[in-house]
Amino acid sequence: MNVRSITGWCLSLGVAIAAQLASAHHAVVAKFDDTKPTELTGIVTNVDWRNPHVHVFVNVTRADGTLENWAVELESTVLLGRSGWKHDTLKPGDAVRVDGPTARDGSRQVWGMRVVATQGGRQVYNVTDKAPTVARSQQKPAPRGANGKPLLGAADAVGGYWAYPTSTVLQQAGANVRMDADGVLARIADASKVAPFQPWALGVYQHRQQRHLADDPGFLNCKNPGAVRQFQTPYGVQFAEDAARQRVFVLIGGGNRNYRIIYMDGRDQQGQVQGDDDNPLYYGRAVAHWENDTFVVNTTGFNEDFWFTNGGLPHTNLLSLVERFTRTDYNTLRYDVTVNDPGAYTQPWSSSWELKWVEGEMPAYFCQDNRS
Amino acid sequence: MMKRLILMVAAVVALGVFASSGAQEGHPLKGSWLGEWSGNTVHGDNILLILDWDGKAITGMINPGTDNMPLKAASLDPNGWVVKLQADGKDKDGSTVSYVIEGKLENLELPNRSINGTWSSNKGRGAFTASRQ
Repeated sequence: MNVRSITGWCLSLGVAIAAQLASAHHAVVAKFDDTKPTELTGIVTNVDWRNPHVHVFVNVTRADGTLENWAVELESTVLLGRSGWKHDTLKPGDAVRVDGPTARDGSRQVWGMRVVATQGGRQVYNVTDKAPTVARSQQKPAPRGANGKPLLGAADAVGGYWAYPTSTVLQQAGANVRMDADGVLARIADASKVAPFQPWALGVYQHRQQRHLADDPGFLNCKNPGAVRQFQTPYGVQFAEDAARQRVFVLIGGGNRNYRIIYMDGRDQQGQVQGDDDNPLYYGRAVAHWENDTFVVNTTGFNEDFWFTNGGLPHTNLLSLVERFTRTDYNTLRYDVTVNDPGAYTQPWSSSWELKWVEGEMPAYFCQDNRS
Repeated sequence: MMKRLILMVAAVVALGVFASSGAQEGHPLKGSWLGEWSGNTVHGDNILLILDWDGKAITGMINPGTDNMPLKAASLDPNGWVVKLQADGKDKDGSTVSYVIEGKLENLELPNRSINGTWSSNKGRGAFTASRQ
């Protein structure tokens, strides 16, 4: 990663801000009621192939002869593209059968759990994307930089980024609470097991869960995936190590495609990394050092304008994180985090997961605001 | 009349200083609240509340800049989202007026959530409503 790449990143950030506004990304259950499934058979009238969600519009003829146009919502172009689908996999005029839950608001929208092209019976637009696997015989050790420490970024011009987190939700180690990939609990009664909440924080968490995370500012308003959340997005993160200035950029592929700066130049944590107590930040103020082969990042100074993790766990401006990044081999990054927020939790708590190395550039995905 | 005008000007100035910009996903009471305690003949119908959360206690001030009534006690019960605030002020003769505000926090998910309920003191009582700014 060089200055040109970082400049390109900043330009892409500008493009994101200027991008045409469209419907927002959201947790599936926030918009669709899985207790109200439907099956539709009809003719495709249009395919709207763009992020945050692809839409296929289908004309459905009812038994009484009336014609209804339904919007079938699907995953992002990135996830569908990784699974081998293209904008013209379906074309206007194609006959399809669609199964999935319908919209909570009663509108003619359905989440496309299963879309089958009637002619040929082939299922289309399903996500089969999985993390790249490396045969044990081809596994390589973590590449190292001039300082002898493992590289967090790419070792060659091919480039690469970290994605496919083994967990996209946050809960304290050992909790094993069942929830979906967006952090929606299988049973709200399990909420208190997820983290050592203060009473108000548990109440807020339960409220967000009862509303199926529909109020997530990361989706509604493209608020930054600060703190833990940047390591939970399906689009990955890229480390750009600026050795000359002793800082590391974390370029974030999801959310509003922003970046975070981690300083290693020995500066004080308070008041010097932009922001101060009166100007808390989405990414806080982060300083780091190496402990053997582990990159240890301490971050404080977060604002309260965002959700710091998928699933709606609340935080306050007292939040501090200790994040430990260990590249255990060429293709694996272990992420350990300790959450310390005496404003929302009764004690510090920890969690961990892994991310996988993906060669090449991060996919182009931009969160788009829901205020069009 | 003059007092009410001063209160309103102070409210606007205080909001300019304290108001957060929209979203507030932390403690649900934290922020600046503007509303009415109807029928308050001592301190007027308009009320400005500045509330904060330090991790252990809700702190704050009623009508900063004019009446300057620091909260004596404050609580939020997440079972029903019941809010209770207590503060002492002075009337124009210097006598203590002890206020108790009790209400329910509504529209928790919105930045401009509201508290609706009642206020009471040794000088009167009435309806209370405030919304987060």
